[in-house]
Amino acid sequence: MENHLLEVKGVDVLYGDVQAVWDISIDVDEGAIVALVGANGAGKTTLLKTISGILRAKRGEILFLGKSLTKIRPQEVVDAGVSHVPEGRRLFSKLTVFENLRLGAYPPRARPLFAQSLERAYGLFPVLRERKNQTAGSLSGGEQQMLAIGRALMARPHLLMLDEPSLGLSPLFVRAMFELIGTLNEQKVTILLVEQNIHQALKIAHWAYVLKTGRIAMSGRGDELLANAEIQNAYIGRRRSKSLPVL
Amino acid sequence: MLEYLSFGLIVQLLVNGILFGTMYGIAAIGLSLIFGTMRIIFIAQGTMIIFLAYVCYWLFRLLGIDPYLSLILVVPLSLLLGTGFYQTLFKEAAALEDKNISLLIAIGLMFFMENFMTVIWTGNPRSILTTYTSLVFRPLGIDLTFTRLIALLMAILSTVGVILFLKKTLIGMAVRAASEDMVSATLMGIDPHRVNAVAFAIGIGLAGVAGVSLATIYPFDPFYGFIFVLKALISLALGGIGNVLGALLGGIILGLLESLASFFLSGGWSDAISYAVFLLVLMFKPEGLFVRSVQKA
Repeated sequence: MENHLLEVKGVDVLYGDVQAVWDISIDVDEGAIVALVGANGAGKTTLLKTISGILRAKRGEILFLGKSLTKIRPQEVVDAGVSHVPEGRRLFSKLTVFENLRLGAYPPRARPLFAQSLERAYGLFPVLRERKNQTAGSLSGGEQQMLAIGRALMARPHLLMLDEPSLGLSPLFVRAMFELIGTLNEQKVTILLVEQNIHQALKIAHWAYVLKTGRIAMSGRGDELLANAEIQNAYIGRRRSKSLPVL
Repeated sequence: MLEYLSFGLIVQLLVNGILFGTMYGIAAIGLSLIFGTMRIIFIAQGTMIIFLAYVCYWLFRLLGIDPYLSLILVVPLSLLLGTGFYQTLFKEAAALEDKNISLLIAIGLMFFMENFMTVIWTGNPRSILTTYTSLVFRPLGIDLTFTRLIALLMAILSTVGVILFLKKTLIGMAVRAASEDMVSATLMGIDPHRVNAVAFAIGIGLAGVAGVSLATIYPFDPFYGFIFVLKALISLALGGIGNVLGALLGGIILGLLESLASFFLSGGWSDAISYAVFLLVLMFKPEGLFVRSVQKA
């Protein structure tokens, strides 16, 4: 296929001395929503960290728009057009909402577009405009997640990687979060989504990969996987039986 | 002794304490900035202050440059020195998970500088005597030494300067962001080496200001820097790490404490009390005196 925005080819990643990702290959097409699902410790977060340059692949290659991301540092990955909203949001809690957004536009490519990007972020999340002079730490969980995504969008990404965006949010915010992912996608943002909320993630994804202990166990269209009995039994059913979210 | 005690004397002790404490304060701001991004106590900070005091001394003795005028040379020099030290000594170590390596480099740098200064300037104390060294104002019967007033002014100006830099410039915001979460900062496109170098430059830049202040007020020798950095560390603990204004206030509190303790007790007690306060603060209020409580959202 010619329209792959991101290609991960045969990547191995070690976390300390432990191999967390084994020979993983995934493709993300321009304009798609691609989900990575699987149990805790399956290697989903490790894979995102490797794409954004926080971790190094021991073997394999990562191509974005045909250029290799394998050897470059995180600050260069974001300038190339890949924004990563990490697990737990990692906001600068002592800085104001505005300052967080300002730093979102730190990459050289994004700086000249700051004013325009800011308007877009405030347009998507009006509450951020209201709270622009508050510290990020004073926001509610849902507002913090909005800020984390707004901050990532300030870098003008072609690919937005979201790690567990619904984690720790109230059911109302979870629904809003998935609606937002749909809206962003309609605005031509390609999305790579890691989610524990497998049912919702598969519903929205065009394509999904199921990871199991660091390897790809299965892949397919979101709706196909959703209908797959094995997945139903392995993940979705079990989650329903537990009332506590998996942390 | 108590029969000499008067309202004027108390005020005098307080004024002296505040004026001296501001020097601890600016040293503490430097420590705070470097700790913020590098996660090490830059133990050589006091020795850098002494070194820059010697630079000021040399400019005065050899070239006849007025100590305050020499700021326009000393501050840019110290900014360059800070960047240079980072690039040559700390850059490789800063990328490592183990921060002890950076700390050991700082300790090595301190001992090297101490001995280097002893070779060049000997271990004997040096001081700068100018026409205004003994100039004193006496408003309301309180002695205000000119050089200490200037030191206070420089401390306030540099604190305001650092706060504005951190709040208003993009790179300043990046330094604050990196101090809070370096990994998240790199995901924003911030280069860790860039913010580390900036923190070092400003930290040593402040050492330049403190060095000139010190040189105009007190005699100094190559080994005084270590004690000075310990005092700055106490100020930092009082003010709370990552709080620029808090660090200055922490220095002032320590200055007051020492001034009162050395008058009412003795010089020896003054140091013992300083370190006792250090321990007490770390035990009971480790986030500093000026933080209401640790809030976790």
